[in-house]
Amino acid sequence: MTIAPAPSTVRSLRRRILERGRDQAVPDRAVLVLHDVTKRYPNGKIALRDIDLVIPEGDFVFLVGPSGAGKSTLIKLLIRDEIATRGEVVLDGQDLARLPRRQVPKIRRKIGIIFQDFKLLPTKTVWENVAFALEVTGYPRRLIRPAVDQVLAIVGLSAQAKQTPNQLSGGEQQRTAIARALVHDPRLIIADEPTGNLDPLISWEILQLLLRINELGVTVLMATHNAEVVTALRKRVVALEEGRIIRDEVGGAYHRED
Amino acid sequence: MITFLFFSVRRAWQGFWRNALMSIAATATMVLMLLLLAGFFIIQTGLLAGLEFTEQKVEVVAYLEPTATEAQVTALQDSLKAMAEVETVTYISRDVALERFRESMKAQGREDLTQYLDSNPLYASLEVKLIDPSAVRQIGEALRADPVVRNVINIEDLVQRVLTVTNILRTAGTVLLLVVGAIALFIIVNTIRLAVVARAEEIEIMRLVGASDAFIRWPFVFEGAFVGLLGAVVTLAVLAAAADPLSDFMVEFFRVLPLKVGSLTRDLVTLVMGTGVGLGILGSWLSVRTYLIR
Repeated sequence: MTIAPAPSTVRSLRRRILERGRDQAVPDRAVLVLHDVTKRYPNGKIALRDIDLVIPEGDFVFLVGPSGAGKSTLIKLLIRDEIATRGEVVLDGQDLARLPRRQVPKIRRKIGIIFQDFKLLPTKTVWENVAFALEVTGYPRRLIRPAVDQVLAIVGLSAQAKQTPNQLSGGEQQRTAIARALVHDPRLIIADEPTGNLDPLISWEILQLLLRINELGVTVLMATHNAEVVTALRKRVVALEEGRIIRDEVGGAYHRED
Repeated sequence: MITFLFFSVRRAWQGFWRNALMSIAATATMVLMLLLLAGFFIIQTGLLAGLEFTEQKVEVVAYLEPTATEAQVTALQDSLKAMAEVETVTYISRDVALERFRESMKAQGREDLTQYLDSNPLYASLEVKLIDPSAVRQIGEALRADPVVRNVINIEDLVQRVLTVTNILRTAGTVLLLVVGAIALFIIVNTIRLAVVARAEEIEIMRLVGASDAFIRWPFVFEGAFVGLLGAVVTLAVLAAAADPLSDFMVEFFRVLPLKVGSLTRDLVTLVMGTGVGLGILGSWLSVRTYLIR
């Protein structure tokens, strides 16, 4: 089921953002809209300040910045592991702060998330790890097999389906994680340092895979420290520092270019 | 709903076997705790039966005036029977009393001196058995007030002391059982918690891929129930196996006491099953809950 973004929210956001003089157009279908978001933790630390960010459908965005800049907090807000202290986080038309607790699992199924440490279950095979995401969300059993086979083909792991994670290379493990993220047919893929544990060659492989998935129409948000990759690909780059967006440019490099 | 149930049970079964070491450790702890609990329960039941047996021995004996007419005695008997605290009233005539005395002398191997007497020196009496031994004073006073009663053996103080002791033992037994129950509760819940914590990553992944709370919780709850059930069955098997060698001792013990072995077995099965399954479910529920509240 696809829920269209509540038009009023997006329209008012667009007006507000335009009034602020931003030269960023808000497309009709934004997967993700953050407006005026501040996150203050109970210990008083302010992790994010006044964040405005719009990610249109089909975009590929790098999220960069030093450790402690707020990247992890931002990702936690997107998967509603944390709730913004102020402002709106609108994912696929739904304001996460106002989302009832019972609806949280449903919104998470629209997001595929990939981590640096893969987070695979060591006792399950590649196939079972991917199928797991469908089983535990009550997906009809007869539809699980074709869905899993399909995503394993996309990430190129059909031959390794029966192996367990410890029999795989790091790159293959990450591809398993990507297959699991894809199996729900998500609107948005969030990759948190997906190449952090991988050597450069394998990192490029993973990047190629994410780019291909993006070409299939899935929006990708990737937090990374990998300057080489970011600079080479010339995608949209959002740079965070001390909880603020200090740069948001299309076709940017990892570091500011003047 | 059926699909969900099927899913949960299947996942619980998988979870149990895929983490066999943890599951077996949890089950073993469950068995040990249930054995401890069952042991104390048996002791407590025996103790209660013993105390009840002792208390039932309490009997008020009233000797009657030789001048008492049959009508007066019957009237007294009837008034006693009408009292709620009285279980039975037995009239012991002078002849019966003499007969008993002779038998007891004979049993002790002593010479029967009564044969040298011209007449029966004993008094007729009423033996009053009480439902509630604490009523002994009240019954004693009622008897003394009656003109046909010559005297009442004063056992009030003795009964009072026995009751003090039995009440202390009863309370101590109950407290001990509760303490053992609490220990079993904490250890079992904690062991189940360890088994759940060992799978924190699995729970985290489930949350991240968008599993609803019910889909995360119920497999663990079923698994906890399964551990509890298995533990209870093993415990009962151990108890059944131990019952045979113990029976020589136990049969003697229980023959004396007004204890129904059938009801003890039933209570024990209920206790072990209920505690095992109940704590298995409770442990899982509480442990998973900490991961869901966020």
